[in-house]
Amino acid sequence: MVYIFTALYCEAQIFIRQFKLVKNQENTWLQEFYNESAEIRLAVIGVGEIAAAAAVGSICALYRPAPGDLLVNVGICAHTAKNDGIFLCSKIIENATGKTFYPDMLYRHNFCEGTLVTGMLPWNGENAAPAGNLYDMEAAAVYQAGSRFFGPHQMIFLKIVSDHGAVGEVSRERVLHLMEKYQDCVLDYIGQTAAITQTGSCRRNSPHQEEERLVETICADLHCSKAMRDSVRHMIRYLTLAKIDYVSVIQDMYEKKLLPCKDKREGKLRFEEFKERLF
Amino acid sequence: MKNLKKDCFNPFFSHIYVEKSVRNHARAQKILAEFPSAEIIEISYYKDVFCRSRQSHPIQHRTQKLILAARQGTLLYEGAPVCQSFGNQYFYYVSCAMNCIFDCEYCYLKGMYPSANIVVFVNLEDIFAAVEQMLEKHPLYLCVSYDTDLLALEHIIGYAQEWCLFAARHENLKIEIRTKCANRSFARSVVPLPGVIYAFTLSPQAVIEAFEHHTPSLTERLSCAGEMMRAGCPVRLCFDPMVYVPDWKQHYEAMLAQVCRMIDMERIVDVSVGTFRISQDYLKNMRRQEPDSAVIWFPFQRKDGYCHYPNDLMEQMECFLTEQLEEKISREKIFRWRM
Ligand code: SF4
Repeated sequence: MVYIFTALYCEAQIFIRQFKLVKNQENTWLQEFYNESAEIRLAVIGVGEIAAAAAVGSICALYRPAPGDLLVNVGICAHTAKNDGIFLCSKIIENATGKTFYPDMLYRHNFCEGTLVTGMLPWNGENAAPAGNLYDMEAAAVYQAGSRFFGPHQMIFLKIVSDHGAVGEVSRERVLHLMEKYQDCVLDYIGQTAAITQTGSCRRNSPHQEEERLVETICADLHCSKAMRDSVRHMIRYLTLAKIDYVSVIQDMYEKKLLPCKDKREGKLRFEEFKERLF
Repeated sequence: MKNLKKDCFNPFFSHIYVEKSVRNHARAQKILAEFPSAEIIEISYYKDVFCRSRQSHPIQHRTQKLILAARQGTLLYEGAPVCQSFGNQYFYYVSCAMNCIFDCEYCYLKGMYPSANIVVFVNLEDIFAAVEQMLEKHPLYLCVSYDTDLLALEHIIGYAQEWCLFAARHENLKIEIRTKCANRSFARSVVPLPGVIYAFTLSPQAVIEAFEHHTPSLTERLSCAGEMMRAGCPVRLCFDPMVYVPDWKQHYEAMLAQVCRMIDMERIVDVSVGTFRISQDYLKNMRRQEPDSAVIWFPFQRKDGYCHYPNDLMEQMECFLTEQLEEKISREKIFRWRM
């Protein structure tokens, strides 16, 4: 699942259209859209750090992101010199605290990279230039709330420059125009990254159903206690990963009527015997 | 959403994080010059990047980043109980770099560090000063390549060379540079020193292929070790950790036969033998990071906070190798690790 967070509805529109997202009518406290089959969930989190942290926290607490999921924060920002361009943030500074956050920079891309400063107020171009070249009002909060649920390899911050210190003059139409202008590269990057992150997490072998069934049968036939059941499960996990043929040993034990056992005591002995035959 | 392109990861060291305080340090400058197209990201403190929560070792290992920092606080550590002291009374180690470009599934660094990125401490002079201070009190046996493989990083940081120059100036200092590397260019240019021991960790080829990802083959390691011995360097062979695989006996026997064919066993300094063991806490972290790695999911036995193979198996494996080694070298040269 990809969790997309935008501050404004007009920043979200390209995703709603592209992924055919539907509104979650049950969510009454923020605008949330989703498409289960496309594995996209989007929330419009509002402007400012507190709104962003509250929204990201509530969405993540509700849906519990998995290790293969992705958090993407996309939206407009100011630039200290430019009026246009798209940036992947490699460093995010929270202006109020000076805290700094670093999303992992894992994948190839065609964006420029930049340091983003998140402030409580819009940067008007007149007050001191921020420590980074980009300025927004949510990313640091999205990172902090998100990091309770996502690792730094699962978080992406893409910022599109709308102005250099005159956010009041940025119209809804301009935001829409900018989002559309960069739509292809944003969607492509999210698609690529989501696929890799998911593939990476699929590599994680969870016990096979068949393996689970076997564990259950053996544990019942060994009259396992809770602790012994854990040992059996661990042992079978290891033997599977190490590609050691334990199934024929178990079969042989059944054939020789060593299994099932009559009680817990005999079960313990048989389990020891099983281990001895394997190592 | 499923159009995965090949080669999607950034290249190795595509990004280099540099502590502000060392940006102009000569070593930092030299290392940065090796990577002219890397993105340089200035940081205040290396832990801001290195110690972030929920990092993924397997993913970061695909595209490791470099962090240049200054080592502060403790610079010398006493050897850990799970490590061999080789009969040296004052056994210490230093950590001038953290993490490794190789990717051994059983590597304790995966359990010890929250990140797979590589940290290089550029203030080697401070570590040298701390060593000199200790040398004023007593001699020192110092392992300089524990939390990394220094020889594997040599072409980038040149620290093995710096340690050699330092050791050459201090008679009562003996250093060990442990490696799985087969750095032939280093071997060719090495100046042998009695106080610098090169310790090659060896495993059967089957273990290398299964668990020691991106490391040189057994043949490559042995030919590098042989070359260094012929150049006059003291060389140690480490059969530690011995790793359990089905048919381990055949694999270790074949390995030893190859070792004896390629290495003049008479001339090695010593050997170490020890089966895989690890702190319980590190193992827990490693299992979380690598849920499908057979080598770390072995049902180990626990004792005093450490995990090891069941006593019988441990005894069998270590005795087997020790006995075989005793036929080739004198017993005093064999150091077997004991719980
Ligand atoms: S070579 Fe040594 S330090 Fe490097 S990954 Fe392997 S075990 Fe760890």
